[in-house]
Amino acid sequence: MTPLNFPLPNVVPLIPEMFVAVMGMGVLMLDLFLPKERKVIGGYLAILTCIIAGLLTVQIGMAETVSAFYGFFVQDPFSSYAKLLIYAGTALAVILSLDYIKNEFGVGEYYSLMLFAMLGMMIMASAPNFVTLYLGLELMALCTYVLVGFQRDVLRSSEAALKYFILGSLASGILLYGISFLYGVSGSFDFATIGAAIEHSGSGAHFALLLGLVFVLAGLAFKISLAPFHMWTPDAYEGAPTPITAFMSVAPKVAGLVILIRVLADALPALNVEYVTIFSWLAVISMAVGNLAAIAQRNIKRMLAYSTIGHIGFIMLGVIAGTADGYAGVLVYMTIYLFMSMGAFAVIVLMNREGIQGELLDDFAGLSKVRPGYALAMGLYLFSLAGIPFLGGFWAKYVVFMAAIEAGHLYLAIIALLFSVVGAFYYIRVVKYIYFDETRVAFEFVENRLMQATVAVTAVAVVAIGLYPQPVINICKAALGGII
Amino acid sequence: MVPLSYYLAVAACLFALGIIGLFLNRKNVIVILMCIELILLAVNVNLAAFSHFLQDLGGQIFIFFVLTVAASEVAVGLAILVAFYRNRRSINVEDINTLQG
Repeated sequence: MTPLNFPLPNVVPLIPEMFVAVMGMGVLMLDLFLPKERKVIGGYLAILTCIIAGLLTVQIGMAETVSAFYGFFVQDPFSSYAKLLIYAGTALAVILSLDYIKNEFGVGEYYSLMLFAMLGMMIMASAPNFVTLYLGLELMALCTYVLVGFQRDVLRSSEAALKYFILGSLASGILLYGISFLYGVSGSFDFATIGAAIEHSGSGAHFALLLGLVFVLAGLAFKISLAPFHMWTPDAYEGAPTPITAFMSVAPKVAGLVILIRVLADALPALNVEYVTIFSWLAVISMAVGNLAAIAQRNIKRMLAYSTIGHIGFIMLGVIAGTADGYAGVLVYMTIYLFMSMGAFAVIVLMNREGIQGELLDDFAGLSKVRPGYALAMGLYLFSLAGIPFLGGFWAKYVVFMAAIEAGHLYLAIIALLFSVVGAFYYIRVVKYIYFDETRVAFEFVENRLMQATVAVTAVAVVAIGLYPQPVINICKAALGGII
Repeated sequence: MVPLSYYLAVAACLFALGIIGLFLNRKNVIVILMCIELILLAVNVNLAAFSHFLQDLGGQIFIFFVLTVAASEVAVGLAILVAFYRNRRSINVEDINTLQG
């Protein structure tokens, strides 16, 4: 009889995850002992957690690829870079929350939930396996459902949470059904093993494979709000507390895109023709729905929701290209989108009118006369989102469009170009409200140094990346070393 | 010995029932939660059948993860539903209409 031995798994790659998990629980516990007026300390701790987790991720080493827990966890440059984006997105969303959420019930739970949602995204980014993927995805999703409905006395908040929950659970179910078929064909949940099994599978398995592919892609498309699986996005964005809307617009999208790329590149390369066809259609629908429906919106949160759908359509061009340049383009796009989107939401959170946030487009009329600084920053974000040259957003689009053209998808790139022209209309319309219209509503502004710093930093980043994009592009290309 | 395709057919029926129930149901949000549960159980039947026929334990272990997550999912869902009911005083599907989407 062989003696039992329990080798201790290599836990070093998981140190950031473990740290975030402990801090999430710590913030929750600490909240019990804080008096009501000091609850904001939990928020500062959450920001600190994001910063330290970032340092840990860098410290562990971003260059090498390490697998841990018998192939259930992988740390490579791709996941490390995605995690840095996730930390940044979460930290900025926490900064936006500090003032917004302070009068709500259960503030400590709020920051703890954000940390756990971040933990879920980190696990997703490092998942080489459908089991890890599913657990990370659900950890993220369950926390986000609660955060969307956090203002539980506000009808639209709980309604948004209910809709998001129903459609989100449906998407998880569809994803799982797809996973079960891929498992049936390959006998494994590991991406690489599935990829190898698919290549050697006979024609008899083709139908089951297609079922698996379609269901998995539909489930993931829902998570990144790719049309026609976007129905939840406008409602959830409008009903959620604004900082949570900002949170949802960046970090979960990064995690979703990373896992989508990993699934496509590792598990489904043999089905390249099929998924390129599916995604080409979804990308076009997404660009059309996002950019056309945004024109009709009067609420800026709803408008930015449709704008996200449109941007995801553009980002899919990088995924469809399927080359290292295309995947790097996705990371570049998300990096720049992080600054634009967070900045725009920061300005929205800063505008406060009798406790109601400045959400309607009309509320922005004449902003330039009241607060020229915010008006300038908002103008920069909007021009950048529209893709005006020499702002960050231009290079984001340029990189993915070029990747698509080089991979032979010229028509897709042309369609995307046309839709970005349509998109420019509704972004620039807001700029018109800000600069050329008379003030209609008196503003009250939240005075919060950290939030003002956020606006300044993101605006500078948008301009700086616009003038000198090469470092970001180089870093993203280097991050792709591990996956292709 | 019952062939694999029978199990898959049962799972497909359960899955279809869940999806159809989710979209056709116009009365009650609780029914929607039941439909979601039905979809997850269809997945479990699929996984168990594949796991048995492939002689691989992985699928059965994944079922436990799915069951656990499904339980927490329902807990969160019911909590959100209670919050919604307090504001709206109704759990009719037709009353989820404040946000036009």
